[in-house]
Amino acid sequence: MALSVDTIKALVTPSTVHRSVYTDQAVFDLEMERIFGKVWLYVAHESQLRKAGDFVRTRLGTHDYLVTRDEHGQFNVLQNRCTHRGATLCNEHQGNTSRMVCGYHQWMFDLQGTLRGVPHRQSYPAGFDMASPRNSLARAPRVDSYRGFIFASLSESGPSLADFLGPMRGAIDNLVDRSPAGQLELSDTAFRLEFRANWKMHHENANDTIHPGVVHSSSVMTARQHQAEPTPFDDGQTREMLQGNAFSKKEWEGIELVALPGGHSYMDGIYRSRLLARKESDPVRDEYEAIMKQAYGEERASQILNLDRFNNLVYPNLSINAQYHQLRMVYPVAPDRTLVVSRCFRLVGAPEQIYHRAVRFLTNLSSPASMIYGDDAAIFERCNTGLSGSDDEAWIDMSRGAELDKPFPGGGTISAATEAPIRSQFKAWLGYMTDGAHA
Amino acid sequence: MNDITQVLGCEPSNASLVRVQQFLYCEARLLDQGRFAEWLDLFTEDAIYWIPATPGQTDPLNVPSIIYDNKDLLSMRVRRLSDPRTYQTMAPPRSTRIIGNIILDAEPGRGDALQVYSTTFVHECREEVRRLFSAQCRHVLRDTPAGLKIASKRIDLVDCDTVHSAFMSLM
Repeated sequence: MALSVDTIKALVTPSTVHRSVYTDQAVFDLEMERIFGKVWLYVAHESQLRKAGDFVRTRLGTHDYLVTRDEHGQFNVLQNRCTHRGATLCNEHQGNTSRMVCGYHQWMFDLQGTLRGVPHRQSYPAGFDMASPRNSLARAPRVDSYRGFIFASLSESGPSLADFLGPMRGAIDNLVDRSPAGQLELSDTAFRLEFRANWKMHHENANDTIHPGVVHSSSVMTARQHQAEPTPFDDGQTREMLQGNAFSKKEWEGIELVALPGGHSYMDGIYRSRLLARKESDPVRDEYEAIMKQAYGEERASQILNLDRFNNLVYPNLSINAQYHQLRMVYPVAPDRTLVVSRCFRLVGAPEQIYHRAVRFLTNLSSPASMIYGDDAAIFERCNTGLSGSDDEAWIDMSRGAELDKPFPGGGTISAATEAPIRSQFKAWLGYMTDGAHA
Repeated sequence: MNDITQVLGCEPSNASLVRVQQFLYCEARLLDQGRFAEWLDLFTEDAIYWIPATPGQTDPLNVPSIIYDNKDLLSMRVRRLSDPRTYQTMAPPRSTRIIGNIILDAEPGRGDALQVYSTTFVHECREEVRRLFSAQCRHVLRDTPAGLKIASKRIDLVDCDTVHSAFMSLM
C-alpha cells in the first residue's frame, strides 16, 4: 500500500505520534526510501581506510554496502552485491584487496566498482559491455567526509554534508580536537546489539533526561549500595558510570537539551551539573591535560576539554560521545528490529590509559553484558510489545516541555527536562517523509 | 607412551580430576539455581572474570571485552541481577547448563594453582525467549584452606564477536 502525503501527515501532531509509525511495514519501507535512501548517513572512519585497497562493510538503510579506498585515495561507497547473480562480494567486516572477486563465477570488480573481468568472455553477446553502469556495482552518488568521518547519500542532490551536519559539526570537531595530534583511530572491535523494537525508540531515548532515574534505577541503586572503596582496577569508573544516571531534580534541571533542525540534538551542561565531573586526584587526566596544553596552548586546550556537549545525536543514524570517545551507529532492520553498533576511538598522542578508559566506557555501556543499556533495550521492547498489541487509537505523547522551550541561537530550541528532541526528530521525519526535501 | 593426553599436557591423575570436576559441577549448579551470592564466594579476592569480545583476545585493556571484571565489579553485577528493579531479571531467567570436556592442565601455573579447561552449554529461557550459549572456559583454581577457589575464569563464547541481544547471563 502506498502512503499518501495526507495519510503520513495525519500520523504526527505537534505533540503526539500514531503507533503505526513504530510498527507498520509500509511506514518502515517509506522511511528506508525517503529518509535512509536520501540523507547523509555515516558509513566509516578514515582510520579504517588508510591504504589503497582497504575496505569496510557498512549499511545504508537495510542495504549491505562497502566503503573502499581506491588507488587515487578516493572513497567509494558500493553495494556489496555482484551484478551477475546477486551474491555478496565481501563477506568480512573489513580487509584489504586490489580487486573484489565474486565467489560464484569470478566476476571481478575494481575498487571503484567497475567490472574488470568475467570468465569465458568469448561466450558473451557482442553487446555485452563490461564498462556499462549496468554491470558496475551500484554506488552512492554522493560521498563526502568531515574531519575523518565519512558519510554517503543515496540521493544525487540535496544539502551538502556540512549543511546537513550544521551545529553537529561541533561534536565531531570536539572529538577530533581532544586528540593532541588531531587524529583518531577507530577500534577494530565493535559491539553489535539487536533489540526487538523500532529504530526511532533509540533516538527518542538518547536525549531524554527523565528516564534514567526510572529505567536505570537498578544500576544506580547497585552503585549506591556498593560500599567498597574503588580499586585501581578501573579507577572507580564503572561505579561512577552506574551512578551517573542518578539525576536529582536539581541536577537534571541543570542539563539543557538542545533540539536542532534536521532532528539532531544533544545534552548541554552534564559537567556543570556535577555528573561525570573530573575527579580531584587523577594523575592520568593531569598527564593528558598537560599534553593537551602543550599541543594547543592553555586557553584552547581548556576550551576543548570543557566543551560540555553530551550524547550528540546526528539524525538518523549516528551518535557521538566526545568526552569518552564513543561512536554508535543505529541501523533499522525491520519495523520491530534494530541493530546498534558501538565502537570507541583512540586519541592519537594521548596517554595510553585515556584509551583504556574509552575501552572500559564502551564495555560498560555498549557490550551485551552492559548493566546500563540492557535496561534501555528492555524498555524499547516493552514499548514495541505495547504498541504492536494496540488498536489504532494508540498514540504516543511527546508534549513534555512544549511550552517551556526557548529558542536556540541559529535555530532549534533549548530547555531542560523537555521532549523537544523527540519533537524535532518528528519535524524532520515529516519533512523527509512528505516531500523528501530537507526539513 | 606418547598419547594425545601427553601432547595436550593433560593431567592424567584421577584423584584431582574428580575433585575439580565436582567443583565445576557445583559452580554450574549455583548459576542454574540463581544462587549468585554463593557463586561469588567461589572467587578469590583478587580474582578476574573475563568474557572476551574477540576470538583469541589477549589484551583486556586496549581491546574491549564483553565483561572484564575484578571481584569488586563482579559483585556489583551480582547485586544488580538480584535488584527487583532490573527489568531483564524481573521474571528470573531459568537456565540449565552442562559442563564437559574437562581437561586438567598438567602444568600448574603456580604451586597451589590448577589450570582447568572445560566446555559449557547453557540453555536459557527468559520471557519466552530461548537462548543457547556455548563457550570454552579456562579456570585457574587455587587450593586454599577454605577449599578450591576461582582465581580467574575466562569464558570464550563461540559467538563472542557476533550480534547479541542486550543481555548476557553469567556463565
